[in-house]
Amino acid sequence: MEHVRPSTLDEALEGLAAPDAKALAGGQSLLPVMKLRIVRPSVLVDIGRLELGGVHMSENELRLGALTTWNELESAQELERPALAALAECASGIGDLQVRNRGTLGGSLAHADPASDMPAVVLALGAQIVLRAASGERTVSAEEFFLGPFTTALGPAELITEVVFPLVEGSGSAYVKVEHPASGFALAGAAAVVRPDGGQSVALTGMGGQAFLLASDANPVDALPDAEIYGDRFAPVEYRRHLAGVVARRALDRARERMEGTGE
Amino acid sequence: MSESVIGVSRPRVDAPDKVTGATHFAADGHVHGLLHARLVLSTEAHALLQRVERDAALAMPGVVAVLTADDLPLASAGSDRTTEPLARTEVVFAGQPVALVVAESEAAAEDAVEAVVVEYEPLPAVVDVEDAMLPGRALARVLEEDAGGGDLESIHAGVDKGQEDGEEEQLSGNVLDTVHRNAGDATALLETSDVVVSGTFRTPWVYQAYIEPQVATAWLEPNETLVVSTSTQGSFVTQRELARAFGLPLERIRVIAEPLGGAFGGKLALMEPLAAGAALALRRPVRVVLTRAEDFQATNPASAQVTHLKIGARKDGTLTAIAARMIVDRGSNAGWGVEGITSLLVAGPYRWEAHEIRGYGVQTNRFTFGAYRGPGAPTAAFALETLMDELAVELELDPLELRLQNAVVEDDVGVSGNPFPRMGAVEVLERIRTHPLWQSRDSLPDNEGVGLAAGYWPGGNEPAAAVCRVNQDGTMTVVTSAVDMSGVNTGFAAIAAETFGLSPDQVRVVAADTATGPYSGASGGSKVTYTVGKAVLKAAEAAREKLLAAASDELEIAPADLEVVDGVVRAVGAPDHSITVAEISGKALRFGGRYEPIEGHGGSAQTRGAPSVAAHLAHARVDRETGEITLLAHVIAQDVGRALNPALVEGQMRGGAAQGIGWALYEELVHDENGQLLTGSFLDYAIPLAERVPDIDTLIVEVPAPDGPFGAKGIGEAPVIAAAPAIANAVAAAVGIRLRELPMTAPRVWATLEESGA
Repeated sequence: MEHVRPSTLDEALEGLAAPDAKALAGGQSLLPVMKLRIVRPSVLVDIGRLELGGVHMSENELRLGALTTWNELESAQELERPALAALAECASGIGDLQVRNRGTLGGSLAHADPASDMPAVVLALGAQIVLRAASGERTVSAEEFFLGPFTTALGPAELITEVVFPLVEGSGSAYVKVEHPASGFALAGAAAVVRPDGGQSVALTGMGGQAFLLASDANPVDALPDAEIYGDRFAPVEYRRHLAGVVARRALDRARERMEGTGE
Repeated sequence: MSESVIGVSRPRVDAPDKVTGATHFAADGHVHGLLHARLVLSTEAHALLQRVERDAALAMPGVVAVLTADDLPLASAGSDRTTEPLARTEVVFAGQPVALVVAESEAAAEDAVEAVVVEYEPLPAVVDVEDAMLPGRALARVLEEDAGGGDLESIHAGVDKGQEDGEEEQLSGNVLDTVHRNAGDATALLETSDVVVSGTFRTPWVYQAYIEPQVATAWLEPNETLVVSTSTQGSFVTQRELARAFGLPLERIRVIAEPLGGAFGGKLALMEPLAAGAALALRRPVRVVLTRAEDFQATNPASAQVTHLKIGARKDGTLTAIAARMIVDRGSNAGWGVEGITSLLVAGPYRWEAHEIRGYGVQTNRFTFGAYRGPGAPTAAFALETLMDELAVELELDPLELRLQNAVVEDDVGVSGNPFPRMGAVEVLERIRTHPLWQSRDSLPDNEGVGLAAGYWPGGNEPAAAVCRVNQDGTMTVVTSAVDMSGVNTGFAAIAAETFGLSPDQVRVVAADTATGPYSGASGGSKVTYTVGKAVLKAAEAAREKLLAAASDELEIAPADLEVVDGVVRAVGAPDHSITVAEISGKALRFGGRYEPIEGHGGSAQTRGAPSVAAHLAHARVDRETGEITLLAHVIAQDVGRALNPALVEGQMRGGAAQGIGWALYEELVHDENGQLLTGSFLDYAIPLAERVPDIDTLIVEVPAPDGPFGAKGIGEAPVIAAAPAIANAVAAAVGIRLRELPMTAPRVWATLEESGA
């Protein structure tokens, strides 16, 4: 295995063009699967020194660099507003402090663990994900991005560079999960956004093969057929289905409280 | 007289080195020419080994050997982990070591493990312990082999086997051992009792989860001495086990117990036969270090247990009889199981008029059973203390008063048939009674509750010896072969300092090995402070006698009129007539010196037990919608005999309670129906993380042990025992449900709430 540490984005994209090349950001998803020998990259393209971090707020959107760590999300003052509260709330519940110091937004989204937290938040907030390849840049919506367990729209030679969140002033957001007692991943997690016009979005994670946005009129308990709900000893299907309703309601309630300024 | 060092909190003597990273653990040692071994683990829970194809692995760069059982110079045909460190012909659990790949580097060995192909002929996996007992059921081991045994059982607690059994119950060959304890007519008494409660309680396999995975390094000295440097709880027991495995005389085996990175009962002679076998076979130094994943699969966690229990009482709260049927899953361990201990401890620290208790040790194709802090005790306490609570409800009595009314006192005869030594069951319950949390139990918010439970550990005994040597500078070195587990060395320093007349920082404690040290048993069974500590006390006394004899000569004052204070010998009442310990030692330890070295040897052979009892209060909140339990507060009151160093005692109480919280809420090794481990990593196997353990309030209760050093007794195991039932009783108080299975996970709590309609 080869390890390269490019100093420019173009060099990184060039490195990723090699067969079985993998991008290494914070290493909190890739290194564990490499340790288990599930993934054996030919080239490890260490993108940790690229200028892909940062929280950039403008009037109508928030742009988060792909290398933004959970800890940076947790502590970013720009996110201390009801419309974006779900981001920090979600980030602060990921792993432990060491994981949050290393783990990145882009790395997590690219890994697309079906029980990871942040996909629900990017879905509920209606984020756009910016992808770069040597041939150019494209933008896909969060909904188009997640395709299945550990599967996304990201091409083999592409990198996530940014995640862009539209700002809906006056809205409130929240993320609520029931976590796996060992891994801390979501047995069921819900991100909710409530808007002043009465609209709302709820996305669920941890339920099945991928995080998904709930249809606006759907009852979270009925969101998935049994066959698509993961069942295991930590959360049998019936329990996980029940939890979907609980976390969705709690997230909506909290988002609404935040919108109305009655919450914390 | 300076102030006593006994009862004063001091930092652990090993803390600075551990905190600064200076401690040399077993995997850190540099050994010239070291080879690295990695295990090939069985992928089958039960099978006959057909063939181990090793050519591909041997062809890989850096690979020195691929060893199977036949390649190791094993002396006997036993089937325990000492005599069969690699499976010979039959594998009996998934994760059992089948082969060792030995290479010049760890990486080469790890790569080559994947290239070893093992062919199996699968056999039915026996995973349901209750079903496995029934006559005619498939056996978890089909090839007859000598069960071996060794003396690993006696490390934990001296427990008799109960009465000889007259009745013959029809059982399968999977039942390796039965224990029967009875007195009086429990059946008749339960029929006539005013209130009877009963239940079936299940507890899972639980992993010790020490920080440092198992590791051992072995090599041959030029004179053919086999040296083993290892992370173990006991050097001499490991030496004996290795002698048994390889048929070597004891004097040819030297075991060095390195500083321990956690063990909790799990580190006794598992890795050493592998490392030693490979070193003997290859005549090169070999180290075996487990990865965490291997440690989960291939070691020896606490056994699962099913307990059927029934207890009765009269209207006034007097306990009448206890009837229990306790099924212990030993996995592949044919040598010993906890059926003896658990069938004793299920009666708790209470008086019974009659008892009828049966224990069964049953083999299955799951792991090899091993000890874990208080083996057999948390499982028994979960059953008994849950039912004690239910009894209190039925009797409309306060649960604390019910326990107090029936608590044993000295000389009450237990179900062992022997009288209880002095033990503070009444005292710890009295201490709990006045605690604000207990006082506030009836005025809590909805879905919150406080639960109480108690449990005791009988404590173990084993003769031990120690040496106290005064150095030329007047400091003392205490030499024992006890492994410093849970801070025992810090206790030894205090005992020696107090006895001899030094300050504790003038005392160093060193661990010797089997070639150099005085005898000590393994650190386990809550016996080290009580037994080795007593030997240290006697050694310090012997050294003090030599000191006073020399000082008497120097000062021309009778020894009886001398005292030793902070390193100075002086006349009682005339402190100006004095000489320092350093001066005397200097006159002894030199060419042409006048006095015998100021050095004492001491031994102990404790015969009376010194049981420790602990009561817990748990304050829990239950989320009715998700089933999640949040612990809001936890209190433990423990009779520790005498707290030699209260900070360390409190540390043991907290650590024990935290592991009990693990039993209660998180920990569970799960196999599928084929015997494959489903929870083989910390991503699947939950332990109580710091953020989930509340502040634990520790209440030290001191009921001195008559034979213990300064009244101290072993305290390591008692604090784990009753934490889980205290939490279960808190859940019952909060939302009115009784869980019969540990751990009380969110889906189980939710399902139980749904069923109960509560």
